[in-house]
Amino acid sequence: MASPLPQVLLDGLFAGGTYALMAAGMALILGVVKVINLSHGAFFTLGAYVAYALAGRGVGSPLAAAPLAAVIAFAFGVFLGKSFVNPVRSHPFALPVGTLACALLFEQAAQLVWGPHPLSIEAGAPWIGPGGLVVRRWGAVAFLSSAALLGCLKRVLSSRPGLPLRLIAEDEEIAGSLGMDVEAIRYLTFGAACAMAAAAGALLSPSGAVTPTMGRAPLLLSLVVVIVAGMESVAAIFLLSIGLGVFGNACAWLLSPQWSYVALLAAVCLLLAARPAGIVATAGRRD
Amino acid sequence: MTVNRGSPFRRHRPLFGTAALALSLFFSAFPPAPGAAAELPDTLTIGVLAPLSGPYAAGGTSFVQAATLAVEQANAEGGVFGRRVTIAVGDTQGRVDVAKSEALRLVSREKVSGLVGAYLSEETVGVMEVAAAHRKVLLVPVAATAEITDLVRREYARYRYVFRVGYSLPQWAEMIAAFLSDRKVRRYAFVGAGIRWNLELGETLERFAVPKGISPSYSAWYSPGNPAFDTVAVAAAASSPDIVILADPGRNSVSFLKRLRESAPALPVLSVGGALGDARLAASVPLSAPVYVQAAAWRGVSTAATAYVDRYERRYGATPVGYSDTLPYDAVTVLVAAWRKAGTVESDAVVPVLERGTFPGVAGEYRFDPDHQARWGTGPGALRGSIVRWEPGGARIVYPPR
Repeated sequence: MASPLPQVLLDGLFAGGTYALMAAGMALILGVVKVINLSHGAFFTLGAYVAYALAGRGVGSPLAAAPLAAVIAFAFGVFLGKSFVNPVRSHPFALPVGTLACALLFEQAAQLVWGPHPLSIEAGAPWIGPGGLVVRRWGAVAFLSSAALLGCLKRVLSSRPGLPLRLIAEDEEIAGSLGMDVEAIRYLTFGAACAMAAAAGALLSPSGAVTPTMGRAPLLLSLVVVIVAGMESVAAIFLLSIGLGVFGNACAWLLSPQWSYVALLAAVCLLLAARPAGIVATAGRRD
Repeated sequence: MTVNRGSPFRRHRPLFGTAALALSLFFSAFPPAPGAAAELPDTLTIGVLAPLSGPYAAGGTSFVQAATLAVEQANAEGGVFGRRVTIAVGDTQGRVDVAKSEALRLVSREKVSGLVGAYLSEETVGVMEVAAAHRKVLLVPVAATAEITDLVRREYARYRYVFRVGYSLPQWAEMIAAFLSDRKVRRYAFVGAGIRWNLELGETLERFAVPKGISPSYSAWYSPGNPAFDTVAVAAAASSPDIVILADPGRNSVSFLKRLRESAPALPVLSVGGALGDARLAASVPLSAPVYVQAAAWRGVSTAATAYVDRYERRYGATPVGYSDTLPYDAVTVLVAAWRKAGTVESDAVVPVLERGTFPGVAGEYRFDPDHQARWGTGPGALRGSIVRWEPGGARIVYPPR
């Protein structure tokens, strides 16, 4: 390959897919339940541990682990949504602190069950593309999964079954007055978003190491993506994720790896300063 | 303290009074034995400082496990002066301020007779202050910064209680450079987490490698919190080195190695810092090219090392990586041996014994130089460590040549 730059940009595309996978569930919770869920990363970690546990029992493919991880996380998410998020959500400061406490609790539990040491699942060989371009297997999976997931989400939200979600996102009182069980829809949505995070964790588990704190970095970046993109447009979330992934890798290549994160967060701050309500929100609509 | 009208203290004053009376009666009924302060306690306690929470919890947990095995071994040999040896653990959380306050707690409240720790270089420099102020012997197993021995050299009277069992950065660089020379490496890429000892090791290695005709082709450090290190892997491979030296003690070493193998499946890697010494991790990374791991000791290097690895594996279900789960064992073993030789745990009597004696450990015979640094490196009588290569069936020792 003549220059490594195309490889760097392709890897950035895949990194963006990772952010988008997490951001999809985060956007759903922020849009419908209207809370910042700081335990989202813990569900990502849960998914990775489910994949690791299955790999130890001979089920090596994370594609098989993702549905099981999603089911387990959905059950946990519904429980958390019903027993904690719904009763506490009217207190704006209590909920982020509470969900953060849940995340820390999960990290400690994971450390007790699996130990603090990093664990790893075999990643398999990458695909070699034209010109010697290396297509990382789990990077491609993340990219395609995030595109599919966000595509499905967009379709659901714009179709008739998604009407209750849209209505609750717009005005809960009207939704309630129309006979919708707002509380149930909220905790089911919370559970579904947790399931999405766990599926993402399972799918991406072979690309790195599985540790109790592995969900922290994706949590931060997905939160950044959702806040900057706004929750109105699923496409904006996807495109911004990809854009940040490519931008971060390009900065790492052109400046220095240590500066890439700084440059990425500086770009986010500039975007927020220019469009505080999100890049696709109508100006003045929410602020 | 100002006590306002209606405060809990005032409202419950009779209750506090009763509790104080009960406590004074208790202590007058059971006074401390005369002269107890001057006598040795029934158990001798070693304060162990390691991060059990936070980003370095994995290394810290192994650290404490190794120290636990060492005191068990000491007790199996009859303890010290017929007394049992125990450990009191302080969780440093990977933070300097916490490490110092935990060291202070261990010294003042747990009444430890000696200290072993800490984990990070920054933490250890902080703990040195506590050890110096309270005149407690401190054995440093893994922190590698040159500042530790520099302080002993510059202010001997103050820091004479500090001895480093693990290798210093110059010693480490010397051992790595000798291995690179042995493998006929001409160009290396040095990458890893952007933490203090890595940055220092990269610079120091260059000083040792260049005179041997070995030069760096690429150097980069990624942020431990930044998952986008794909670029580092791509750039390291593109610089056409003969080997990549991966300096990362944490989980990112696994992720980085996977990325690197995808970009350059035939490029050898030397992991320093410990993480890739874990057989469970090594089993999941492609071995299409050599993966070398540097360790202080490894199974098969000596009878003592093999016995330790077997015992560690039986107890904890995994083999040690040979660094942060091995050197603390030796640190505790050396401290206990020094107490026995000195016939006391008084620091001022133990220091000369440590300065002049030799102490067997898992990694070999420890001797300390005038800066209280254990002799590691390539010179005669120095501890040499091991470099192993992962193969499908397990690890094989490839350096030093036997």
